[in-house]
Amino acid sequence: MLSIISLSLFGILNLFLGFLKSRRVLLPATLLFIALAFAANLLDWNHQYVYFRDMLRTNNLFINFSSIILLTTFLTVAISRSFGTDEEHTHPAEYYAIMLFSVVGALMMVGFENLIMLFIGLEILSVSLYVLTGSDKRSLRSNEAALKYFLMGSFATGIFLFGIALVYGATGSFNLSAIGSYVSGGPTTGISPLLYVGLLFILAGMLFKVSAAPFHFWTPDVYDGAPTLFTAFMSTVVKTAGFAALYRLLTVSFTGVYGLWWQVLTGVTVLTLLVGNITAVYQSSVKRMLAYSSVSHAGYLLIAVAAKTPQSPSAILFYSLAYSIATITGFAVLILVAEQKPIEGRPDERYEAFNGLAKRNPLLAFSLAVSMVSLAGIPLTAGFWGKFFVFSTAVDRGMTNMGMVLVVAVLMSVVGVYYYFRVIIASYLKTGDSEPIGIRPLYRFILVLTTALTIGLGLFPDVVRQLF
Amino acid sequence: MSLLLLIPLLPLIGFLINGIGFRKIPKTLVGLIGAGTVVASFACVLFLFLNFDGQPRVEKVYDWITVGNLNLSFSFQLDQLSLLFMLIITGVGSLIHLYSIGYMKHDEGFGKFFAFLNLFIFFMLLLVMGSNYVILFIGWEGVGLCSYLLIGFWNKNANYGDAARKAFIMNRIGDLGYLLAVFLILTNFGSVEFTDVFRQAAGLKAGNSTILWITLLLFVGAMGKSAQIPLYTWLPDAMAGPTPVSALIHAATMVTAGIYMIVRSNLLYTLAPVTLEVVGWIGLATALLGASIGLFQNDIKKILAYSTVSQLGYMFMGLGVAAYTPAAFHVMTHAFFKALLFLGAGSVIHAMSNEQDIRNMGGLRKALPITFLTFLIGTIAIAGIPPFAGFFSKDEILLHVFEHNKLMWGIGVFTSMLTSFYMFRLLFLVFFGNFRGTHEQQHHLHESPLTMTLPLMALALLSAIGGFFNVPEVLGGGAKLANFLAPLFAAAQNVRPEAFAMAELSHSTELALMIGSVAVAMIGLAAAYVIFISRKTVPVGEGQEHGLQKVIYHKYYVDELYDAVFVRPVNALSVFFHQVIDFLLIDLLVEGVGKFVKGLSKEFRLAQTGATGFYIFAMVIGIAALLAWSLRGLILG
Amino acid sequence: MNTNYLPSDYLPIVVQLLAALGFIVGSMLVSHNIGPKRHSKKKDDPFECGIPTEGDARTPISVKYFLVAILFVLFDVEIIFLYPWAVNFLDWMKESREMAIAIFVEMILFMGLLLVGFYYIIRKGVLNWNQ
Repeated sequence: MLSIISLSLFGILNLFLGFLKSRRVLLPATLLFIALAFAANLLDWNHQYVYFRDMLRTNNLFINFSSIILLTTFLTVAISRSFGTDEEHTHPAEYYAIMLFSVVGALMMVGFENLIMLFIGLEILSVSLYVLTGSDKRSLRSNEAALKYFLMGSFATGIFLFGIALVYGATGSFNLSAIGSYVSGGPTTGISPLLYVGLLFILAGMLFKVSAAPFHFWTPDVYDGAPTLFTAFMSTVVKTAGFAALYRLLTVSFTGVYGLWWQVLTGVTVLTLLVGNITAVYQSSVKRMLAYSSVSHAGYLLIAVAAKTPQSPSAILFYSLAYSIATITGFAVLILVAEQKPIEGRPDERYEAFNGLAKRNPLLAFSLAVSMVSLAGIPLTAGFWGKFFVFSTAVDRGMTNMGMVLVVAVLMSVVGVYYYFRVIIASYLKTGDSEPIGIRPLYRFILVLTTALTIGLGLFPDVVRQLF
Repeated sequence: MSLLLLIPLLPLIGFLINGIGFRKIPKTLVGLIGAGTVVASFACVLFLFLNFDGQPRVEKVYDWITVGNLNLSFSFQLDQLSLLFMLIITGVGSLIHLYSIGYMKHDEGFGKFFAFLNLFIFFMLLLVMGSNYVILFIGWEGVGLCSYLLIGFWNKNANYGDAARKAFIMNRIGDLGYLLAVFLILTNFGSVEFTDVFRQAAGLKAGNSTILWITLLLFVGAMGKSAQIPLYTWLPDAMAGPTPVSALIHAATMVTAGIYMIVRSNLLYTLAPVTLEVVGWIGLATALLGASIGLFQNDIKKILAYSTVSQLGYMFMGLGVAAYTPAAFHVMTHAFFKALLFLGAGSVIHAMSNEQDIRNMGGLRKALPITFLTFLIGTIAIAGIPPFAGFFSKDEILLHVFEHNKLMWGIGVFTSMLTSFYMFRLLFLVFFGNFRGTHEQQHHLHESPLTMTLPLMALALLSAIGGFFNVPEVLGGGAKLANFLAPLFAAAQNVRPEAFAMAELSHSTELALMIGSVAVAMIGLAAAYVIFISRKTVPVGEGQEHGLQKVIYHKYYVDELYDAVFVRPVNALSVFFHQVIDFLLIDLLVEGVGKFVKGLSKEFRLAQTGATGFYIFAMVIGIAALLAWSLRGLILG
Repeated sequence: MNTNYLPSDYLPIVVQLLAALGFIVGSMLVSHNIGPKRHSKKKDDPFECGIPTEGDARTPISVKYFLVAILFVLFDVEIIFLYPWAVNFLDWMKESREMAIAIFVEMILFMGLLLVGFYYIIRKGVLNWNQ
């Protein structure tokens, strides 16, 4: 809770820091703010609090999820570069502030106890992201992406809100546990059909946010158009917050109708895995490939939600952590590599840009390789354990229910290896430019840190898992 | 954290510092860090040893992996056995690190060398400290890796690279056996923790078939690591590495890992008499084979390598007759004198400007007095002449073997004579007679610097007195080591007392046996003296050997045999797979699948039109489908 | 609250819906049909005269207009929030003094944040028309 308040205040503070003459202070200040919020967040460890008349609830699960969100935000901010020196078109203070505000939204989504809070959190997060997507004001693609995201996002929000209204109509409450007790056998007259429709609408809205098929169409276009830094931010923070919210909503309120949403989720999972993985194969741009990869990872995470076993939260947590770290690494390397030789003023994000990377900068190539291997889910990296834990929740649920999903998931992991390894092959086996790429110390530190974390979690998954 | 954790951590820190900064750190500092961390770790071990209360304890560092019922913890075990090995590893390791500072001084890979050496110590400590078979395996693989890196340390020479690969592959064959054994243990006992496994196994009957398989497979692992027939051929080739490496890894520590593992699993082995018999005979055969090949070798390090193979065979023979304490004792004394001999050989090679052929040496005792004296002590020790270390440990093994099987004992004693012969042959050819090298080499002869001679002297001292740690009762000793290690075998003794039962040998028999083996050693010494000092024979040159000598000189053609039996058929099979299976399966089937997915991807991609209207349309269709599917019951009534 | 509504209870809503729709559709139809119409070739021509058009009908307006408009809406909505609060404040005061103070402090915080935002806008120079 303290983290939400402090982040809001820090965001405002950041806006005013923008009036300072020197912009150098912004990046360290923002990092400090996030670190402070992280620390404030940990204060409530092992305590349960409910705030504002059952609006928000903080517990260890909340702290775990928000820690992952804050960590990924920290990493993303650390690899940002104050967005150039152009006075007129760049507003670093505002961007950092918006990022902080969006994290506030994400944290509200993690800790909500009331559907209204979920809606407000979701909107804070989404509106911030619409702005960030269009932050490259002079790029047509960035603008197009922002507008597309806004239009489709509003549409999804509308449906989501409609769903909330219907659920309210059926149960007479926005409160999660009140809805829960209604669903699991409160009313004598049977569950109102309004609730089913409402639940499905809410699901559609949430699935849109986590970019699951068939609500994923915005993802590649928006991820591709947005500045890469914000793509990294979007694909990690939104996913973590979205899945935290989805899992919380479905397990606290709608356990009673598991049979209904389980079907929906397994169907969506299979579709998401197929679409995400198979479409990623044919991409020629690494950024777009990563966008599809983000879709496919939503599919894997959905497995753990659909399985709904006691192990699910820790599986989702571990997967989110592994995925976030590896994705940030991947995008961080992409940012550096792509800006080396712009094509028509745009960063070169094709696979070919990675040719010979191992010679140009071994650290970049190695970090990239580790992150791709982790995303592909190969042992000795965090990603492997993420997949392992997720799959084992499905096995716990039973093969009759989840067998089909598991088969698809395993097959699609194999497909995943193909497109992830294309990058590694390009950087290690192909020859390209030989011009070395320089890295700033902070950037280098972040790369080393994320790579070490990926390998470390791959070797010792239990170190973190004990906390979950 | 406790001292126990610090012991492996220190060499690891040394490795990290030297490994990351070896290009920038000055040589003196590299040496200081490299040797300093190991010495510090030795100090910790010593402290633990002196404060050890006889109660074994397991210290958990953290839970490593928890999956389902499997709980692997990263934990260390402190007991008599691990303490003994830790003392040997860090003690001998410290001396060899010190020696390397002088020996590797002019090598450009100085920093890299120390980094690898420290890494080796770390893994070796992990191996003996781990409290379960998995941690042991991590150490096991780690030392294999370091061995590979260090054998091929001078990687500009392609032959050395081949030797490194050979060592690695031979070890991998053994590792497979070890891994299978660990899987068997896991499925049968549900745990890999030593204490759990042994507690459960203690309830089983001797001759249990599962235990038989586990122990046999574990022994396959030991064969690879400890160079036993048929996986021994890598060890002589491993001499391609720098001499300190040969001393540390391929004589004193790593190759004894197999013995450590069997002593650690003594309960399981005691329960499998058949395996023990196998171990004993393979050990004996290896001892004889190694000793006989050693007779005619001319490379100073190769002779020592075959001698190591032979001595390891001795240890396994000891294990085979359930003489666990003598085997561990022999590990200790062997570590002293074999490290000493290797380091002495290194000193000779150093003085001779990298000459390794003993036919080109001779009369070096005047130029290298310290090396000569220490080498002499080492030779006496390994030959088994009292009162030096080798006598006590070897004799104890032979005593147990005598109890067990007279034929085995006979061959063992014969092998001991061969050992004495080839070791004195080596000594005489190198240090006595006239110098047979080039004029330039003679001019260059010099005693090694203090950093090299100091470890030699320390090891010589240990080789001289090392035997007194475990003087048998018949000679008025207290058998201190045996008493110290006794708790380790208590459980095994409980389940099958007859394996340990010693028919009370009369003291006179015992003394007679000792005198017999000393006499045999003396015969070997005398024969060598007659041939190489009195007659001044020098081994004939390459390709001039005849008959049996030729067969032995070429190591019984075992390498060639392996090549014909294993390597070539595998190559042929591989060609077949490449040309037929690869084409049919990979090209048609796998690539077909790949192409199918790619084609599918091309189609899927078209759905991404870029038009927002279409996207929203798709969403609406999706929602409609969800509603229709989920609520079909309501809609259709 | 009565929660058992019959379908017939929704009738007024339907009636109102029909009336609203009917008025729109009806007035459009009526105006279309009763107005006089005289067609001629010249009248149906898209051009009134031969002079080419000057500029675009959609002249760009300074972005300042939008900014000011949005800011107005923003602050206006916040002010609306004050009304129900002010109306209820007296009742809270009567109920419990502590609670009233807490609620008063909350409103001060709220207004404070608004003021901070307002200050930010001024510092940013959004209201400075000449810039």
